[in-house]
This record gives sequence, structure tokens and C-alpha cells, in this order.
Amino acid sequence: MVYRKELNKRSPLRVFERSLHGGLGKGNIGVVTSRKGVGKTAFLTDIALDDLMRERPVLHVTLQHSVERVLSFYDEMFGELARSQRLEDEAETRLAVERHRHVLSYKGIKEFHLERLRESLGFLAQHAAFRPEALVLDGYPDFTAVTAAEIAALKQLAQDFALELWVTALHHREGQPQDERGVPLEVARFEAYLSVIVHLEPQGDHVMLRLVKDHENPDLAALHLELDPRTLLLRWS
Amino acid sequence: MIGELSRLRNIGISAHIDSGKTTLTERILFYTNRIHAIHEVKGKDGVGATMDSMDLERERGITIASAATHVEWAGHHINIIDTPGHVDFTIEVERSLRVLDGAVLVLCAVAGVQSQSITVDRQMRRYKVPRVAFVNKCDRSGANPARVTEQLCEKLGHNAVLVQIPIGLEADHQGIVDLVRMKAVYFDGANGENIREEEIPAPLRHEAEARRELLIDAASMFDDRLMEAALEGRATEEMIHAAVRKGVLARELTPVFLGSAYKNKGVQLLMDGLVRYLPDPTEVENEATRADRENGESKFVVSNDPRDPLLALAFKLEDGTYGQLTYIRLYQGRLAKGDTIVNVRTGKKVKVGRLVRMHASAMEDIEGASAGDIVALFGIDCASGDSFTDGSLVASMASMHVPDPVISLAVRPKDKKSQDSLSKAIQRFSKEDPTFQVAADAETGDTVIKGMGELHLDVYIERMRREYKVEVETSPPQVAYRETPGRAVDFEYVHKKQTGGSGQYGKILGSLEPWSEADFAFENRVTGGNIPGEYIGSVEKGFRSMLAEGPTIGAPVVNMKVTLADGGYHAVDSSDNAFQETARGAFREFYPKSNPKVLEPLMLVSVETPREFQGDTMGTLMQRRAIVLGTTEDEDFVRIDAEVPLAEMFGYATVLRSATQGKAGFTMEFKRYAPAPAAVAEELRQQFLEKRQAGK
Repeated sequence: MVYRKELNKRSPLRVFERSLHGGLGKGNIGVVTSRKGVGKTAFLTDIALDDLMRERPVLHVTLQHSVERVLSFYDEMFGELARSQRLEDEAETRLAVERHRHVLSYKGIKEFHLERLRESLGFLAQHAAFRPEALVLDGYPDFTAVTAAEIAALKQLAQDFALELWVTALHHREGQPQDERGVPLEVARFEAYLSVIVHLEPQGDHVMLRLVKDHENPDLAALHLELDPRTLLLRWS
Repeated sequence: MIGELSRLRNIGISAHIDSGKTTLTERILFYTNRIHAIHEVKGKDGVGATMDSMDLERERGITIASAATHVEWAGHHINIIDTPGHVDFTIEVERSLRVLDGAVLVLCAVAGVQSQSITVDRQMRRYKVPRVAFVNKCDRSGANPARVTEQLCEKLGHNAVLVQIPIGLEADHQGIVDLVRMKAVYFDGANGENIREEEIPAPLRHEAEARRELLIDAASMFDDRLMEAALEGRATEEMIHAAVRKGVLARELTPVFLGSAYKNKGVQLLMDGLVRYLPDPTEVENEATRADRENGESKFVVSNDPRDPLLALAFKLEDGTYGQLTYIRLYQGRLAKGDTIVNVRTGKKVKVGRLVRMHASAMEDIEGASAGDIVALFGIDCASGDSFTDGSLVASMASMHVPDPVISLAVRPKDKKSQDSLSKAIQRFSKEDPTFQVAADAETGDTVIKGMGELHLDVYIERMRREYKVEVETSPPQVAYRETPGRAVDFEYVHKKQTGGSGQYGKILGSLEPWSEADFAFENRVTGGNIPGEYIGSVEKGFRSMLAEGPTIGAPVVNMKVTLADGGYHAVDSSDNAFQETARGAFREFYPKSNPKVLEPLMLVSVETPREFQGDTMGTLMQRRAIVLGTTEDEDFVRIDAEVPLAEMFGYATVLRSATQGKAGFTMEFKRYAPAPAAVAEELRQQFLEKRQAGK
């Protein structure tokens, strides 16, 4: 049986952070790219759950799913983590996770605008004293359609609210122009606004993480991290 | 007896309190010719709708009991199971959902999908109930059935599609266009009983064609034949119906009907639709559990075959004008007057004296019933949820989840003479409803009733007054707390007593620890006969006897595991009693060292509010130690989901109403027990100590 603190020290996300020389950093945008169904949302939830376990507030924003669905996703991943790592203070940890997490669903909205998210962030701070340090944005932007002005606005939002902001981008199976690192050109064209790019690569029956961009760092660390295909959790050593 | 099962439907009508469910039911009963005059819910004629058999429901305009009513329509037999409309009566809702095969989800054309609909829908999903929707109140100002259909998709995740469009809305609501037949339908006569079919009015022609196309698109996903035919422009009525039905049975399509029950519009078409699209009993899989001496318990799917051994579930008890009635659903086999059946839980044999089919206000004696049907028995002693067989089969319908009560209050009759009636009432209610429980307060001797929420208990107190003429005084409601060890501790304890007569001796070593998998677990690891086998059980019994009242705040101790590792005994002085006492002593000394935690019930609260009140609503929750889980925003409304300690929720309805000008609504259900904050735990501890002090 282990307590939450020890668990946090051993988390594979510490490896991830070290490779990134401290993490994404506030005011920055990180992108997770992969083919459909490989586990982008799961990986973002991994990152969020790790923040939550360390009592860092996270706002999870979804454009496609209901709050209920996202919560059940967290519940499953938390349950799996607690079981597999034999977490001692499970009930308290669960409460801590819930206290620091807020899920915001725009599923019922016809057209999503960043302004709306900005309003909601202000609102949560004012009425619920909720000021996230990380924001997981699932379903926005659509890199094939987004404009430079919109990406700039997203970056501005991250800076204004001092957020580590994570988004996802889709790799198509074929016919998608990519640069020499394998980054889709539709993502690469906004390079100036993106601080970190991580690619999820299926290899056989597991998924490897590859660091494609690490701030201004020319030497990219090899991550040696993988997702367990069954639980979609990062594999613990 | 009902002949073909394909002509039988067991359906529920499920809805938000104000969406007009009772009026709709009333109209259905009228059109099926079972009652002869229509009464409104809060009737001006003072009679009240027929399904609401209890006065209390009549007064509040809501339906609490789930009576099953039999009607006939278009050559089909339909049992309508009236599902309660408030989440505080969850167990009743769940019980109804257990026995029905399909449901009509009634929605208000103005208010649309509300928080209540979300809760009910969640329950239906859990029980895998296929649904059709009825958008009622199209005559009301602000009615918009197309928007409600969109909400069904967005908020509830249904694949909902209109099978009708309205001819006029609000005050101008005249009739309905049937998109399958492509006809305009009007409802003439004082009660809309005369159906007149016409060509679709020209101004609606275009919209009707566009909507029909959407319907065919949606339906053709379930039937290749329709898809091909539609491409060639030769889709027939029969093909569309068949495809929609497939979608409904797969629970992947929700056809949306509309109308106004109050204005007698659309009800007959809805009846046609539910007969056409909802499943018969053989099209739904129901699981039962078989107990077998060799193989233990195993699950199997009931056969629906009248030739197989009987298996029936008692899902509702009612104490009314006719004496005690037990509603049962037959899952296989048949049942006839004079048969002897066995209550699987008690093993008792009972004889079926009278067998009846219930109509809204009358009943009909019948000779027998068979698989798939819902009927009522007279004079059978059983509890709700019991299964019956013919004795050749030891099986029961998979049990329904019964949550532990989370709230309690003491009741005392104002008039001493009423004590008997009070006992009778309580005995009755606890038989009907497993979440309604009763206990005696050890200190005050008061009768304490327990349930799932404030409103849940309120309803029973009202029923005591009305049905049993008992006026009671009640204590303020108490939250059902629990306590549990905070960490593992090892114990070593010797119980020794030698004061005259035979002595007492017992020695035990082991550990007690938090255990999330059960309320209590006991593991014996004693080897080599250090404690004789016969006393191991005594040790367990001793620990168990301490669970009812923990020393921290006097609440039941849960989630604890005791491991007995070693011990010692004395040839003469050890006894069952001595080892029980040893365990109790060990618990008293070592449990407090485990840093016990207080657990409080957390409720899942969903508040639906117009956006303009989002801040105020959030405020009301933040003041209540809420953990806000998430918000769902749509164009005008916001839903906030939060976990709130039950202790903070008393009187919330009033607070929310005044904070939002009555425009927000909320639902609440028990979620789980969670550790209470230190300050709360300390306060409870002080209260417990004071109470104990006072008691001495």
C-alpha cells in the first residue's frame, strides 16, 4: 500500500516532465498528435489526473462529450491507478481529485467561440473560486480549419489565465502532408505558437510517446514512455 | 388469459412532474374505453385523475405509487405501469423499470428536457428500456417540439427523430401531420375521439416532405431494405415502420410523437405508435438467478414460455379499498386460481385465492395469467421484490439494487392512542418500500424512520396522517453518518476475569484495517489450534456486535477488516462468551487507535438554470460545501453537476427557488459515502459526547 505522495514521486509523468525540462509551463500550448483512436484524450486525461493528484486545479473542456462521460472516464482511470498501484488513501485522494477538477461541456452549443471559454474561465474564478493551472481542451481547435488569428487568441488565453494548455491534433492515415519530423503541416504552420508537440505512435500492441518539439530545445530527449493499450494509462515502471 | 405474446405490451409512462403525464394517462384510459369521463389532475370537479389512487398524490398533482393498469388498443393488450415522477422515490422508479419492456418519455413542449428527464433517462438506460417520446403541451405558449427533439439528441444523447409535425402550435394547435402516411390528422368531438384524416395543408407540404426525408434517413440506418427502397423513391409505410421498430428495439432510435393530451390531440396516434414500435415481452431479455446446490448461483435468461415452470416477481404491494394487493409480473410459466406457489425468499407455500387484472378504478377477476403478463394477487403475504415459483425451480429475478437509507427522523404520535396505528402504518410502508426502514432509538425509545431523502420521508408522514389517521411529531432530520478505521493497527488483547465462580479467559492477536470491499470482513489465520475452532466464530461475533455503534460518533462502523492471526485459550475458563468479550475489549481498545474517520453521505445534485442565474446558482452550491464536478452549457441553459453532503441540502429547494426566481430546478440522488472534513467530524464527535454525557 502506498500513499498519494509516494505515488506522485514515482509517476511516469515525472519522466515526462524531466524530458521537457520542467514541463509545458504556464502560458504555453502543448499539442498531442496521433491517428484517430490511439489515445490522445486518454493521454491528456493522464496528464490532468497527474496534476489533480498533486492538487493542481485542472479545467477539462470538451466540445463533443457530456460531463457525465468525461467524469466516468476519469473515474475509470483513477480506479485503475488506485488498484494497480495499491493506493492507501483512496477515498481522500478521490475527494482531492474531484475538488481540483472541473469539467466544462459545450456539447449543446452549435458554434464554439473562444470568447465563450474566456467568459466561463472568468466566471469560474469569480463564483466558484476555481482558477485552473492546466486546461485540457478536447475538440478544439480543428487544425485543418483554424486561422492564425484564432491560434493567437488561444495563446493569449493561455497567457492571460497563466494556463498550461493542452490540445490535440489528428494524424490521418494517408494523404496528409507532413514535415520531416512527421508533424502534419496543418499543425506545423502554427509552430510559433506551440511550445510542445508529442506524438503517439502505435507500435504493435502498445503506444509509444515521441517528443517532437520541446520549447526551443534542439536536443529532443527520447521519452521511453508508453501507454498501456488496455487501460490507456501511462505504463509505470 | 392473453393469447399471443406479440400482442402484449408492458409499458411505463415516465416524465417530469409538470409535463402532463397524468393527463396523458387519463386520456389513454379514456380512449381505450375504460373510464367514461375525463378528469383533470387537479380537477375542477374534485374527482382527480384515475391513476392517482392516493389522496396525497391527488393533492400534489404528482404520481407516487406505480399501479399497473390494463388497457386494450388496436387488438393489443397493454399494461401501463405508472412510474413515479420524483427521484426521491428512486426505488419505486427502479422497480417499475424492472418490470416494463418499453416506455414513453413524456416531455413538455415548452420546458423541454429538464434535469428530471435526465435522471429518469439515466435510469432507463441502466435498465435498457427502449423508448418512444411524446412532446406534450403543444398548445402552450412557447411550444417548440423541434427544439425539444434537438434537446433529446444533445442533452440525453438520443438519436431522436420526429415522426410527426404539428399543424399549428400554441393556441393555434389544430392537429398533426403523420410523416409516415403523409396525412393531416384532426381530432374532432368533445374529447377528440373522432379522427378525421385530410390532405396535408399546402403551407406545411414542404416542411412535411423535408422532415419525412430526415425520418427515412434515420430509419434506413436500421434496415437495408428501406435504404434501397428510399434511394429508388419507393419507401412504403410498412418498410418505414419496420425500420423504426428495429431502431427502437436496438435502443438506437427514439421516434418523437407530439400533441396535447389536455386538448385531446395526438394521443391515439401515440397509442398506435407504442403498439407498433415498443417490444413485446419476448423481444426483451430478462435475467434471473438460479440457485443450484452443486453449481452455486448462475444467471439465465427467462424463456417467456408459458409451458416452462413458473417464475414471477412481486414488484408492488398496495393496501387499498380491496385489501392487500400484490402486483406481479410473470416471466415464464402460468398461474391460475387455486395454484400453490412458493415464495423463493422465505420458502413458504401460498395458495392463489383471487387473481385480478387492475383497471384504473375497477378490477376484473380472472382465472389465470401466463408468461409476460402483469396481474395482481389478493391476500398473499410477501415483501416487494420477492420472487415466486411453482416450487420446481429455485430461481429469483435478479435483485434490484437497494441503497442504504441516508436520512432518519424520530416520529412520535401526538395522541398516545394512535401508537398502534403508527406501528401498522410503518410496518406496511417498510414492506412496500425497502428503502423505508424503521428502528428504535436506544436512548429515547422513539421510533426512528429512515429513507432516501427529505421528501421521501415527508410523503410517508403524510400517508400516516391520511391513510392511518395518525398525527405525528417529528424530530429534525438526521443524516446517517458512518465511521471507519483510518489506518491498519495490530492488536494483542487478553481478557481475564477470575472473581468467584467459573472464570473467563481469551487471548487474541491480529489486525484491524480499512477495507473498501465490504462493510465488514473477517479472516481467520490461526493455526495449530491456538484458539479452538469453535471459538473463532465467537471472536467474529464479538467484533460484529460492536459495529452498530462506533465509539467515535456513535455511527455504524463500516469498511473494516479484522484478521485474527493468533491467540490463546484456557481449558476451563475459555468459552464462547469469554471470546466474544475478548473481541469486544480488543475493539474498544484498538479501534480508536486506528485514527477513525467519519463518513458522510454525498449526494449527486444536478441543477439546471437559465444562464443569467448561473452565478447565483453556483453561489448556493458553494455555500453548501459542494464539489462542483462540471458544467454543461448550451445556448440558454446551464446544468451544474455537483456532489454535496446531504447534511447541507436541507431546505435547498427553497433557497434555489428564491435565488433564481423559481426558474431553476434540481435533482438529487445518493452518490456515495466520503470522509467528512475534520471540522465536521469534530462537531459530530462533540455532539455524541454531550449526548452520551447527558444519557448517564
